[in-house]
Amino acid sequence: MAGLMVRLYFLQVMSGEIYAQEAQESILRSKSVPAPRGNIYDRNGKLLVKSIPMPAVAVDPRIVLENEEVIDILCSKLGLFKSDLYNKLNKSNITYLERVILKQNIDYGTLIYFKENSSKLPGVEIVDIFLREYEYGGLAAHILGYTGEIDEEKLKSSQYSVGYEGGDQIGLSGIEAVYEQVLKGNKGKVTYEVDPIGKPKSIIEEIPYTPGNDMYLTIDIDLQKEVEEILASSIFEIRQQKVPDSDENYKVPGGAVVVLDAKSCEILSMASYPTYDPSIFTGGISSYDWAFLNDPKNEFPLNNRAVMGYPPGSVFKLVTAYSGLAEEVVNKGRYITCRGIWTGLGDDYPKWCWAKSGHGAMNIISAIQNSCDIYFYEVGYELFAKNNNSEELLQKYAGLFGFGSITGVDLPYEDPGVVPDKEWKKEYFKEQKDNTVWFPGDTVNMAIGQGDLLTTPLQMAEAYSILVNRGLKNTPHLGLEVRGEEGEVIAKLGENKPPDLDLNFDYMELIEQGMEKVVSQGTAAGRFLGFPLKEIPVAGKTGTAEVIGKQDYGWFVTYAPIGNPQYIIVVMLEQSGGGSRSAAPIAEKIYEYLFDLGDE
Amino acid sequence: MQDSAKKSYLNGKNIILEDEGKKSRFNFDLILPIAVFLLAGFGVLIIYSATKYSMPDGVADPMYYFKRQGYWLIGAIVVFVLLQFINYRALARFWWVFLSFSIIMLIAVLIFGYEVNNSRSWLDLKFFNAQPSELAKILMVMVIATILSKWPREKVERVGFKKVAFSLLAASATIILVLLEPDYGTALIFFMTYMGMLFISGANLLYFFGILAVTVGGFFAAIQSGLIKQYQLDRILVFLKPDIERQGIGYNLFQSKLAVGSGGLWGKGLFLGKQTNMSYVPEHHTDFIFSVIGEEIGFFGAVLVIIVIAVIIWRCFYVAANAGNSFGKLIAGGIGFIILTQSVINIGMTIGIMPVIGIPLPFLSYGGSNLLAIFLGVALVENVYMRRELRTNYEIAYDDFD
Repeated sequence: MAGLMVRLYFLQVMSGEIYAQEAQESILRSKSVPAPRGNIYDRNGKLLVKSIPMPAVAVDPRIVLENEEVIDILCSKLGLFKSDLYNKLNKSNITYLERVILKQNIDYGTLIYFKENSSKLPGVEIVDIFLREYEYGGLAAHILGYTGEIDEEKLKSSQYSVGYEGGDQIGLSGIEAVYEQVLKGNKGKVTYEVDPIGKPKSIIEEIPYTPGNDMYLTIDIDLQKEVEEILASSIFEIRQQKVPDSDENYKVPGGAVVVLDAKSCEILSMASYPTYDPSIFTGGISSYDWAFLNDPKNEFPLNNRAVMGYPPGSVFKLVTAYSGLAEEVVNKGRYITCRGIWTGLGDDYPKWCWAKSGHGAMNIISAIQNSCDIYFYEVGYELFAKNNNSEELLQKYAGLFGFGSITGVDLPYEDPGVVPDKEWKKEYFKEQKDNTVWFPGDTVNMAIGQGDLLTTPLQMAEAYSILVNRGLKNTPHLGLEVRGEEGEVIAKLGENKPPDLDLNFDYMELIEQGMEKVVSQGTAAGRFLGFPLKEIPVAGKTGTAEVIGKQDYGWFVTYAPIGNPQYIIVVMLEQSGGGSRSAAPIAEKIYEYLFDLGDE
Repeated sequence: MQDSAKKSYLNGKNIILEDEGKKSRFNFDLILPIAVFLLAGFGVLIIYSATKYSMPDGVADPMYYFKRQGYWLIGAIVVFVLLQFINYRALARFWWVFLSFSIIMLIAVLIFGYEVNNSRSWLDLKFFNAQPSELAKILMVMVIATILSKWPREKVERVGFKKVAFSLLAASATIILVLLEPDYGTALIFFMTYMGMLFISGANLLYFFGILAVTVGGFFAAIQSGLIKQYQLDRILVFLKPDIERQGIGYNLFQSKLAVGSGGLWGKGLFLGKQTNMSYVPEHHTDFIFSVIGEEIGFFGAVLVIIVIAVIIWRCFYVAANAGNSFGKLIAGGIGFIILTQSVINIGMTIGIMPVIGIPLPFLSYGGSNLLAIFLGVALVENVYMRRELRTNYEIAYDDFD
């Protein structure tokens, strides 16, 4: 009897607290209540994406795996294969995955069955999860991005360490991914007691969820619609055209358009072709769809081509022109004569202008107007000659205009592009010993936007925005405002004061004059014949990038109206031929919409 | 009255001749019934707490077990009081009735009984279900007490070979029948009670140790020969390694320890024991009732309960020591041993220091048969105490010649 008391003393008094805690834990369960994800609106308050609650069947693998009967019922009611079910549950046989969503968007009959038979199905519950619904279908898919179930790898990462659990929907790309923390809201939590077989007995505590905040974007969905339609239809048109002197049609596998508000660098529209419908990700993407999106034949519709690197061709001449002026290699009065061929590197290394017959005497304005390669070869060559050991001048100005580094736009997976220099070449070609040295020819190539240079359409838009804003460097952005449940503005985005690069106004004026002439009488003039350039003066620069083994890539960068610019448009088309013929018409059509010029 | 009084030659105590003194004095022992009633009353409350959320299938009344146990308690108290009007000595001559009744019951249960927890130990008596071994336990105490004190009569040696042999035979018969059910726990209680009675009977201790040695030897032989399987042994010895088998056989034990341990110093409050109320502890209203006590009223309450049980046991042995005759002494001692062994093993099992064998906690576990049986037992003890000064001529003869 005394022994019993001693034992009780040890059990209850000495270690009572440990037992009490363990006992408490063995009784209490809690489950989270998902919060609806915030909506996404365009700049005019038009609803783009909303959250809709949807019943889903979720299971606790630890309980369900021990009950063959429940597994059988799940398989037959949800139409799953037993082996698939075991795979899915065993894969998540880790303590932090207490809940696995087996099937979303179940039909009403199934829902009723599971609700009525909940006592027979320990470890199985019907949960409301929130799925995305897209008001405008596939429009702006690359901007909005898609959501999907969080995977194990993400759950383990520090970014998702707090407030996430298995089965959660998270933003996986686009705005959904970048503004995940804004949109996700905070989950509620219900703590309840369970009996030994896991059946809830009573609720102890209930914390309500906080819905996610709403995102207002800089894009104008009507403009976006127009831009995507113009881009797609133009690409179809170009595909009908034949490459000169061959039987081949232009392939035009893809393209991108960026429309910026010229002053603030707000992204009014950003289109990438081909595109996809984000709603195929809702409720889990099918393996067929996933295979389609990742088949090289389909040119990877998930890629946002506006933030991928491409050889820029002549649109890069902005940088070469400014470098030449700033380093006093050329000035307004200096003329370089174009005879169609340039032998600055010696007679054994001739380089040609795109206009084989030559342009004649060119100064900075006419060189831009005609996109004269000879002029810019010479500028590049002379810049190379002025290089000293610590500084490569063309690269310096390329960096100044934002090339070679990400713009910082609020989109994931942005490509910084490539601005090749001595160091880069040494590293990149370290396998080919005789090609690790930076040659003058490399700078000369780069001067006309060729070589290993890669820039993204968005970088290009930002670079020209620096010209438009006379040296102010804005960051292009998509987020406009974060608003709360009641519509109150919680945060305004992109209002930082842009840094001033302190550029020379005169030089920029000269470049602008050249660009104006590109549209009025230069390389793009043919595309703006019917355009009221008197009322709305447009500046532009065409680009045609040659890629070995592929058709030419077409570029057109433009802004308008000159004097009080409102819009910057960048059009880039893969394997579409010259930019003046392929890309410029797209920009012209967008201007027609933007300035409401109608069909006349 | 005066002339009927006589001083015992042997110990100088006042004695009353039975023939003349039908008037058994009103010298009750108050401590024993008070302790017993308090404990059993408290037991009914605890059963309510343990079962208010877990009724049998088809019963909606949360007071179901509470009411049933309450009725049994009232019945048991009535039996307790009524039994005081009979002189326990009169029962001695019916020893063979008790023995045959026990044996018939235990055989009946083997044939007609139904199984609970793998042992066939329950009889369905239409109105209620009975566990014959509970009653047999008390009857065996009567039978053994009779054999060791009165039959067969011996003059010189008070407890000689014959008595030991006959008592062992009677005890073995019942123990073997209980083993056949099989109900090892109850059989163990039977055996220990018999050994206790033999120990205090005044028999030569060589008999005691001889039987003990043979039994223990037989037990190991049974393991060796495979009569007792390893898994049965594991089941019993799980308390030595409870953490390995939390979900297997150790589950009861683990949950019980968790419940008792979580009670802490003061407990979670009566009716508020979550582990036990929510059926985390299996058998929490019967064999594991002590886990409810430990969880709800904590260390102090549990110790208080143990103290009350100890008081009851002490009173039994006190009565045994003052019974005035060998028959009474053996009855009170036997009942004391039943309560002692059952309480220690039961409580020990709920707190993980004794093997998990299914035996009820006297006065506290739910169950009519065991409540009624143990009340019969303590009623006999009280009866022995009330009549401690009565002597038969036969006894006086023995006393005075001894």
